[in-house]
Amino acid sequence: MSDLDRAIEQLRACRLIPESQVRELCYKARELLIEEGNVVSVDAPVTICGDIHGQFHDLMELFRVGGDVPDTNYLFMGDFVDRGFYSLESFLLLLCLKVRYPDRMTLIRGNHESRQITTVYGFYDECIRKYGSANVWRYCCEVFDYLALGAIVLGASSELEPTTASANDTTQSTMPIDDTELETEVLNSRGEVTMSTYRARQRSSSDASTDSRNISPPRDISAAPGQLSAPTRSGAPGTGAGGDSNGSAPGSRTGAVLCVHGGLSPLIDSVDKIRLIDRKQEVPHEGAMCDLLWSDPDEIEGWGLSPRGAGFLFGGDIVKQFNHFNGLSLVARAHQLVMEGYKEMFDGGIVTVWSAPNYCYRCGNVAAILELGEDTSSGGTVARSNGEYGRSNGVMGADSLSTVVSPGRRYRVFEAAAQDTRGMPAKKPVADYFLVSETYPLTIANSS
Amino acid sequence: MNPEGRAVRVLPTLDSSASHNFLKPVKKIHESQDVAPFLTSKGYTDIMTFALQLNRSMFPEKLADGTSQPWPLNTDEVQFSAPVRQLQELLSKLEDLIQEVPPDSGPRRFGNISFRKWHEVLEERASSLLKECLPAEILERPSSDADGVTAEAELKAYFLGSWGSGQRLDYGTGHELSFLAFLGSIWKLNGFPKSSPGVEERAIVLGVIEPYLELVRLLIKTYTLEPAGSHGVWGLDDHAFLPYIFGSAQLSPAINETDLTPEEDSLPDAPDPAGVVKKNIVERERKTNMYFSAIGFIYDVKKGPFWEHSPMLYDISGIRAGWGKINKGMIKMWNAEVLSKYPVVQHFPFGSLFSWDRDPYAVASPATVHATSGPQGRPVIPDAGPPTSATARPSADSGTKAPWATAGAGSRVPPMGPTAAPWAATRRDGPPTAGPSTTALPDTSRLPPGPMAPTRAPWANSQPPAPHGGDGPTKAPWAK
Repeated sequence: MSDLDRAIEQLRACRLIPESQVRELCYKARELLIEEGNVVSVDAPVTICGDIHGQFHDLMELFRVGGDVPDTNYLFMGDFVDRGFYSLESFLLLLCLKVRYPDRMTLIRGNHESRQITTVYGFYDECIRKYGSANVWRYCCEVFDYLALGAIVLGASSELEPTTASANDTTQSTMPIDDTELETEVLNSRGEVTMSTYRARQRSSSDASTDSRNISPPRDISAAPGQLSAPTRSGAPGTGAGGDSNGSAPGSRTGAVLCVHGGLSPLIDSVDKIRLIDRKQEVPHEGAMCDLLWSDPDEIEGWGLSPRGAGFLFGGDIVKQFNHFNGLSLVARAHQLVMEGYKEMFDGGIVTVWSAPNYCYRCGNVAAILELGEDTSSGGTVARSNGEYGRSNGVMGADSLSTVVSPGRRYRVFEAAAQDTRGMPAKKPVADYFLVSETYPLTIANSS
Repeated sequence: MNPEGRAVRVLPTLDSSASHNFLKPVKKIHESQDVAPFLTSKGYTDIMTFALQLNRSMFPEKLADGTSQPWPLNTDEVQFSAPVRQLQELLSKLEDLIQEVPPDSGPRRFGNISFRKWHEVLEERASSLLKECLPAEILERPSSDADGVTAEAELKAYFLGSWGSGQRLDYGTGHELSFLAFLGSIWKLNGFPKSSPGVEERAIVLGVIEPYLELVRLLIKTYTLEPAGSHGVWGLDDHAFLPYIFGSAQLSPAINETDLTPEEDSLPDAPDPAGVVKKNIVERERKTNMYFSAIGFIYDVKKGPFWEHSPMLYDISGIRAGWGKINKGMIKMWNAEVLSKYPVVQHFPFGSLFSWDRDPYAVASPATVHATSGPQGRPVIPDAGPPTSATARPSADSGTKAPWATAGAGSRVPPMGPTAAPWAATRRDGPPTAGPSTTALPDTSRLPPGPMAPTRAPWANSQPPAPHGGDGPTKAPWAK
């Protein structure tokens, strides 16, 4: 067993590895990451995950629900650290897995993978506390600088293979009818289907791609059976979907999926522009790189200022144009807590995936991961709509819009890991406020 | 020693016959470097003085017969003065306001949008609410200058800053600080009756501050206000700090008027600090003690092992030197993690009652003294501070370490090494409110908000709020 495998085993048991090993790991990871482009190309099948925020036991639950590495390919969209108790264990494990299985693990950068943010939101504190110095924090931050800014998923199938198990009493499903394909499926952590939607197969893709979009879970699944009806024949208004292509094989029509942590930037109109960024630096306070990690979609038109003070808000029109221009069918992003674990917006043009259940121990949310299946219909050949689509097809051609179909999306929803499995640790020496005897500030009482 | 011969200084009150000019409180802390002058300002001294004065009053009292008189919540031994009862009235009106503005039942991310409405109504009614609560000779006390503002301008500023952020739907220690300043303002204006040392102070803590904290907890639960604790699990508490100070004082050794404030040991029958991890003990003690009351709220809202979601409090529960030790540590920590933190105090406004003027008696850079007090014998890197814990970082360094305002300052940022961000060296000077993306808070929903933040985004000073539609949104160059 190699040192790396041993480290993986140790971290899986939620035990930290020695500082010297962290240093070596981070060095290897940097060597690997430096070879990656700003936008990593990833082939389906892949499982896309959102924020982790140091919730190690929930990350283990994620692997249990989504399949273990390397059996399942994973793409994590950043925010591995901060806020939670186990940022170190979580990030170092993911990094070990990246080094061990580079082609099966994709890690991209979140806004928390930053020196400034980690000094404010806890990761720095955790490193000091668990390793007694800032060395490990520094090693990790150097890795952060090399993480890719985004990923493009290619070759995803437009159709899901139906899952057989279903949670009978809560299943919400449209009846599969002839000439339909399974577009989305939502599974609980036991692998039971709780919701599925179908769309017409081989129909005009404009209809097909809009019929049952914006798949978001109902607030109360059991109380809203059949909320999502069978596909209608009319495209959703305002989608601009007006093409009449006959469509080709279902899989090959599937557009690429762009994964970024935050969202879009007014400075980025094409995926290629992301590739031009010099990313190997601390996350700047403004500019394209900042926006990709900080922006949020919102129900507005155009661009808006973000209440976060970094990045922007962007509306559905922006997403539609961006996807259209780049031959994308979907933007997958994380960055925002969503109570149901995932949320599709703008006619399914963008999805938020959130993978930290019961965030901060109190938010009561469930988490989700998004599985994109492999398109086997075209003999394994990947559809090359890799972000250069729009450019090669002329700008904003109506045809290009109508030929892109969203991939089949399987959401696996899971809850926080059981808590009774974690033993209580010994109390650590407390902060020096409670230890060092000194006169300030109580002396202020007598200062005058 | 102070003139009154008491072991603790008391916040001085205004001479009601002397001339005085009130000032509409304004923001003075514009960038991280402004925290240092704040720590030597009269306003800082007054805040600390008032906090220590209230803290002192919560220590049990040595009685003549050798027994101790503790000051538990709901004790009959503390009489509430008329002004305290008026403030209780005010708090219950704000609680009633929740009935008027029920939480929105529609889909939401986390924070409930109706809190914004609650806040708006509060702002609309603030003047009349204060009028019902405070006598006219205090509220409407005029400035000596004919065209000056009345005391209301100062009172209202701190009052409105006490209720979380309607914009970000969160609540944090900055708001709590604002409420302390509100009470301190009333004190300075002679709004509380003169009594024996500690008598009125106890009434303020038990009769006003604890009900305030209860109301805030209700707001947090009703509108699911986001935790504003910036350090995640590595902070003391998501929302509150004062109950840990006053609550530990309640369980500390008894004192008489001239005793120095104890710095260790406990009241003989005080619960063991380790009790915070035992739910049944917390349930019992929260009824009488502010520390456990705050811990109880954590149990109410958080699921998971206590040591994991609250490691700071867990470790503190292992302190063997008693509640007096915990009390002293809490005060030091509050000083370092709240008063010395740029993200928290940046919005605290200064007028005449809490003044930006330099305190001539202030110890030069008190925070620096604290900063040098880290554990010995460990490699302390310039940015790291003492390595014991997150929050153990010295206040001078970390206290003024704004998320990125310090970046411009250069000296206090973490070592950037060869990969320094471009703005680290070239960022334009100027206050951190200069623009949306260069300045404001990183994730404003999580940062401890400033007390005056409620209705404005950090970038609101120079930019219009992001409108929904209309002509406001910045257009991308390539849009349309």
